[in-house]
Amino acid sequence: MTEAPLLYLDDITVSRENGKKLLDKVTIKVGHGEITGVLGRNGAGKTTLAYTIMGLPSYKPDSGRIFFEGGDITGLSITERARLGITLAWQYPARYEGITVAEYLRLSRRDATKRELEEALDFIQMEAFYLDRFVDKALSGGERKRLELASVYLMRPKLAILDEPDSGVDMLAIGDVVRLFKRLADFGSSVLVITHRDDIASACDRAYLLCNGKVMLEGQPVAVKQYYMSLCGPCSDPLLASEVTSNESK
Amino acid sequence: MNLNEEYSTLIEIARKTGDPIKSDEAHVIVHANNILASKDVPGLVIDAEETEYGIRATFTVKAGFVLKKPVHLCFGHLGKEGKQVIESKIVLEDGAKAKFYSHCIFPNAIEFLHAMEGDIVVGKGADMTYEEVHVHGPEGKIEVRPVTRVIVNEKGRYVSNFALIEGRVGILSLDVDVDVIGRLGSAEITSKIYGKYDDQCSVKDVIRLSGENSSGLAKARVVLKDHSFGKFYGEVQGAAEGAKGHVDCTEVVQGYAKAEAVPVVSVIHPGAEITHEAAIGKIANEKLWGLMAKGLSENEAIDVIVSGLLR
Repeated sequence: MTEAPLLYLDDITVSRENGKKLLDKVTIKVGHGEITGVLGRNGAGKTTLAYTIMGLPSYKPDSGRIFFEGGDITGLSITERARLGITLAWQYPARYEGITVAEYLRLSRRDATKRELEEALDFIQMEAFYLDRFVDKALSGGERKRLELASVYLMRPKLAILDEPDSGVDMLAIGDVVRLFKRLADFGSSVLVITHRDDIASACDRAYLLCNGKVMLEGQPVAVKQYYMSLCGPCSDPLLASEVTSNESK
Repeated sequence: MNLNEEYSTLIEIARKTGDPIKSDEAHVIVHANNILASKDVPGLVIDAEETEYGIRATFTVKAGFVLKKPVHLCFGHLGKEGKQVIESKIVLEDGAKAKFYSHCIFPNAIEFLHAMEGDIVVGKGADMTYEEVHVHGPEGKIEVRPVTRVIVNEKGRYVSNFALIEGRVGILSLDVDVDVIGRLGSAEITSKIYGKYDDQCSVKDVIRLSGENSSGLAKARVVLKDHSFGKFYGEVQGAAEGAKGHVDCTEVVQGYAKAEAVPVVSVIHPGAEITHEAAIGKIANEKLWGLMAKGLSENEAIDVIVSGLLR
């Protein structure tokens, strides 16, 4: 008997109030301990996909189901999904006035020791002195992004959704981002990485190409990357979008 | 309750506010209009007398003296009703430095008026920090009216933090008015209020920057829930070459609470620059969702965000 995937999006459609489809019959699987990439241009629906999996209120599917460890989580709240082991590293993490970095990290793991906090920071190249800093304007966007990745690292979720993990992170090389995926996988976490960078997708076990809210291609990262680089243009361009569609139908 | 019990009860409650009153530190402990204890230290002169409803006191930090430990002022009343009026004058002479910590403790008050009329003078090169923390009971409707007038002289620095986040606010009318008259003088006023039930919270912070290259910050963090109401009026006026000021207000509203914010920035000298920012409304969804994605419930996330804001 085949083991159910950790995450299975079955024919998910998400629309705006005006009827515009943000995700259109999207089917995606993430296996246990697998690093899965979702590649696409700006506006392809990648962040919508992340929000839909995390359960944000404005991103409830019109149709389709979401399964996690075999159970239907379509109707669950963000908190309930997080408590099952799903988390999201946001593309633009929020600021929290009056909360220190140490306190913020302990929201992910309450019993973390100071040494573990320092290790998490060190992993994304932040010094230990940050622990006493506040998660407000005192941190740049890039620093908050790193902190978000440290928080996921510390949480060791079953599924980490990383939304554009390298965007705005000064000095954090692609190699460091990939090292983070691998380390999470070593801990037994599965990773769903959402990116517009083909080189990040290359480091995944499996990849999907998303375009105009549709999955255009699924398979080996190298093949998806080549397809993306050669054929995929801005999603707002209807000609290029139709070209991708016609190519896929061949 | 006898005087000893009143004294030890006030000291015990003050201890829980985070900055305990130690016997070797300068202090004045007042219950109603009784001065229960008073201690000065070298460089500090305390002149206090009891009045019909409270006390009248002058605190003078002599020129050049740096008080390494805070001066504690504890004004309280353990009864349910009454009135307490505190008239105070604090003078930091030139080059002096001191921190005053005011504990205002009314744990049982239901119908009570606590009025403070304060005058503060920060001398040339002097540095004063004033912290005022209130502890109120969970019920009742105490009326709190602190009025403070501050003058900051050349290179003087005045920092004040007012916090009313424990228990009910009741009716608060906080009024702070600062004149930074000296060159390179500075003032920072921060008010943190947590309104609940039908509390009425009014905060008025005004800073006038008439000293060359002076600076000022008026900052408020107000959280309102249930049917409470809050209004923040923050004004910084730039009236001199190089004066820089900022008004920063965040009011978070939950339940049926209502909030108003009036940030006023005015410039009457072409070389001055005043800015402002105000955010008013519910807690931003992205902040809530960010914490919920770590497993916190919505209410837990709200508590974390609110306690951070009021810290």
